[in-house]
Amino acid sequence: MEFSIEIFAEQFARTFSYWWVILPSILLGLIVGAIPGFSAANTIIILLPLTLAMDPETGLVFMVALYASSRLGAGIPAILVNIPGTAGAAATPLDGYPMTQQGRGQQALTISFTSSVLGGLLTTIIALLAMPWLSQVAYYLHSVEMIVIMIFGISLIASIAARDTLKGLIAGFLGLMIGYIGADVIYETPRGTMGFLELYDGVPLIPALVGLFAISEAFSVIEGDSILTKLGREAMQTGGWGATIEGLRETLSRWWHVVWTAMIGLVIGVVPGAGAAIAAFVAYQQSRAFSKTPEKYGTGHIEGLIAPESANNGVTSGTLIPLLVIGVPGGATAAIMAVVLQYHGVTVGPELFATRPELGYGPFTTMAVTYILMIFTILPLARYMSRVTVVRTVFMAPIIISFTLVGAFVPREYVFDMYLALVFGVIGYVARKTGYHVAAILIGVILGPLLEQYFLRAMRISQGDVLVVFSSTIGNILWVALVVSLCVPAFTAWRRRAAQERTPAAQ
Amino acid sequence: MDRFDDDFSRRGFLKGSGAALGAGALATLPFQVAMAAAFPERNIKVYVPTREGGGADRNLRAFASIWKNHIKTNFEPAFYPGAAGRVGYETFMGKAPRDCYHLLFGNMGAEVLNWVVKPPTFPIDSYFYFAQVDADPGCLFVSTKSKLKNVDDVVAEGKKRTLNVGVSRLAHPASLGALALADKTGAKFNLIPLSGGRNTLSGVATGEVDFGALPTSSIVGRSAFKIVALFDDKNALPDKIPDAVLVNKHFNMNLPPLVAGARAFGIQTEAVEKYPDRYKTLVSTAEKVYGDPAYKAAVEKTKAPWEYFMYGSAEDCKKYVASITEIGQQYKQYLTGKQKKS
Repeated sequence: MEFSIEIFAEQFARTFSYWWVILPSILLGLIVGAIPGFSAANTIIILLPLTLAMDPETGLVFMVALYASSRLGAGIPAILVNIPGTAGAAATPLDGYPMTQQGRGQQALTISFTSSVLGGLLTTIIALLAMPWLSQVAYYLHSVEMIVIMIFGISLIASIAARDTLKGLIAGFLGLMIGYIGADVIYETPRGTMGFLELYDGVPLIPALVGLFAISEAFSVIEGDSILTKLGREAMQTGGWGATIEGLRETLSRWWHVVWTAMIGLVIGVVPGAGAAIAAFVAYQQSRAFSKTPEKYGTGHIEGLIAPESANNGVTSGTLIPLLVIGVPGGATAAIMAVVLQYHGVTVGPELFATRPELGYGPFTTMAVTYILMIFTILPLARYMSRVTVVRTVFMAPIIISFTLVGAFVPREYVFDMYLALVFGVIGYVARKTGYHVAAILIGVILGPLLEQYFLRAMRISQGDVLVVFSSTIGNILWVALVVSLCVPAFTAWRRRAAQERTPAAQ
Repeated sequence: MDRFDDDFSRRGFLKGSGAALGAGALATLPFQVAMAAAFPERNIKVYVPTREGGGADRNLRAFASIWKNHIKTNFEPAFYPGAAGRVGYETFMGKAPRDCYHLLFGNMGAEVLNWVVKPPTFPIDSYFYFAQVDADPGCLFVSTKSKLKNVDDVVAEGKKRTLNVGVSRLAHPASLGALALADKTGAKFNLIPLSGGRNTLSGVATGEVDFGALPTSSIVGRSAFKIVALFDDKNALPDKIPDAVLVNKHFNMNLPPLVAGARAFGIQTEAVEKYPDRYKTLVSTAEKVYGDPAYKAAVEKTKAPWEYFMYGSAEDCKKYVASITEIGQQYKQYLTGKQKKS
């Protein structure tokens, strides 16, 4: 596969001519992304008759635009009403929702949109330019290395526990235990399923996600009149375009933060089977670890919102690389794209760049054009979307619960999942009322099963040798990086304390 | 498409989408056409214990698109993929009425091995398969970048060190083939379940495992891989996989064909006993599908190798289930983790 700037430029211009497919796809993607339980993957499946009726290039443009925009759309309810529509947006409300409660929903949305678009656009271009090298990442990140990456994400529990160690750790371990439910990945032995067949594949993510965050939030906000704090309500009185410009400025002034967190997303996205949730949590954890103000994370900190949003959009282009380089899709949406192309007689693989450049380069140029068009369509809407937060909770709470229950049902179409969401809603509510952090539970639920999967696989490959986790050079480098990133905040805090102690003495 | 203006205009797109949506909606409308015959007089619901978009979905849609013309009714698929298909089987046996209007469409091999490892909650003989639609043999494959170039390399290397074999799950006909080969040759194979075909392909491509074992049709046509051995009596695709040897012939073994993809329609025994005429109609019309040239066209449209599509009667299905159960029982200790090495 050889990169050609002429072909790329021609392809870029050609993709722009598909604006009439991209714009409706963006709109659809934003809507399905914002509805919990829906995703680009299941929307493409639902619209399969339409997609198959298109020629391969139009179909590909439609699917890629839908994929990129749905990723951005998932952040909207996460920020405004604490409902992450997909696992990839699970880290978004950690700082996005507190911003909304403070009456800064419009800024939060703008920051989310801008960092998503910039992160997505940048990683798309890098993916295209560096595809031969990036595709090698998957050859080096095997189970052993993925164990360390998982621990990067899970170590966020420790950061959360820093505020109240015992409660934080209890919540984290509860999440890990819930994540342990289901059949093990080697012998498929059911564990903790309580006889429910519906739990054999583990606790489904969407019901857990919407239950812990959204339903428990609905139970909580109904006790008040508004989801906004008193200051937040005052801030919302003075709405205008200024907040959008402010959000834009805040993101652009942190451009480097967008760049490196998006790169985390891109690298994790290249690994087949890894996903946006891992990228978002790892980026958030790294962002916090190297921040000068780690204590502000979780309180509506801008960098805490930029990190997961740019990372989960960085994943999007990454998942296409294994599909185009080795012909194996890196995620569910990429797999469905491959099925659609196969239906048209197109075998996906590296030969596409030479034989059908419009299909080889097409996904990347489409993604780039989608992000460019998206910023102009979505940014002006931030002002109006943020008004949803002024709706009184007596109306808001039932709407949240209805939407989330439908969202819990959609991915597997089991009524059981709606009850499960309610159970998680109650767990989340009790956790909130007793001072346990629901995010710590959720991190365990999402990343725990993945950690177990990679660990069991590594153990199986090594035939039971625990030291396999230190058997690879890259893995060991990652271990060192993990230790450093865990020590940096403590070291920074120690230095700050020491400086504070010295300052009064000097005075 | 060189210029989209020529082939696919905006107006064309809207027209096409409207037509496609309309066609899609019509295809899914339930109970729209009441058929004149005594059976069936309404749609037939098909329980599929796998995910939408996979091989079973593909084969079901191709078969049902022709079968509906012969049986004069539509088929409504319902997917229950949880717990390696267990949710689908349990729902079918637990909730579906015994009236021949509710059928199962599953992969017999993987399912039988499910029951070997952990029996279902219902008696195993309370349902059976009556119409097999394909027979996709299991195979061993390597990455084209691997230093293992053929099955002899695989066996020779396996005698020097333990090779890791990527499989979609332990209880799978293709996995059993790898175990049987290891037993016969003395090679040491360590099966690594990678949770599905896609992950298995990734594992082999990225070198996390040394080689893989999957149904053949999931490898054919992928330039990153090379099929080196087949668990079948013949190579039905000599042009597409010329380097694949037949394991039985090459190693002087006597394995039954380890058909890794053997999708078939199943029905409850009680339904057949209550409505023998309905069952007869189901069987006779399903048989006609294979004589219909439109069926070959429907299969070829899906890009699946037509050579693997062959009809199997209830008797054929029974024999297949028995052979897989027998070999599954031989390796039960290994599949359940009670024995660590093959």
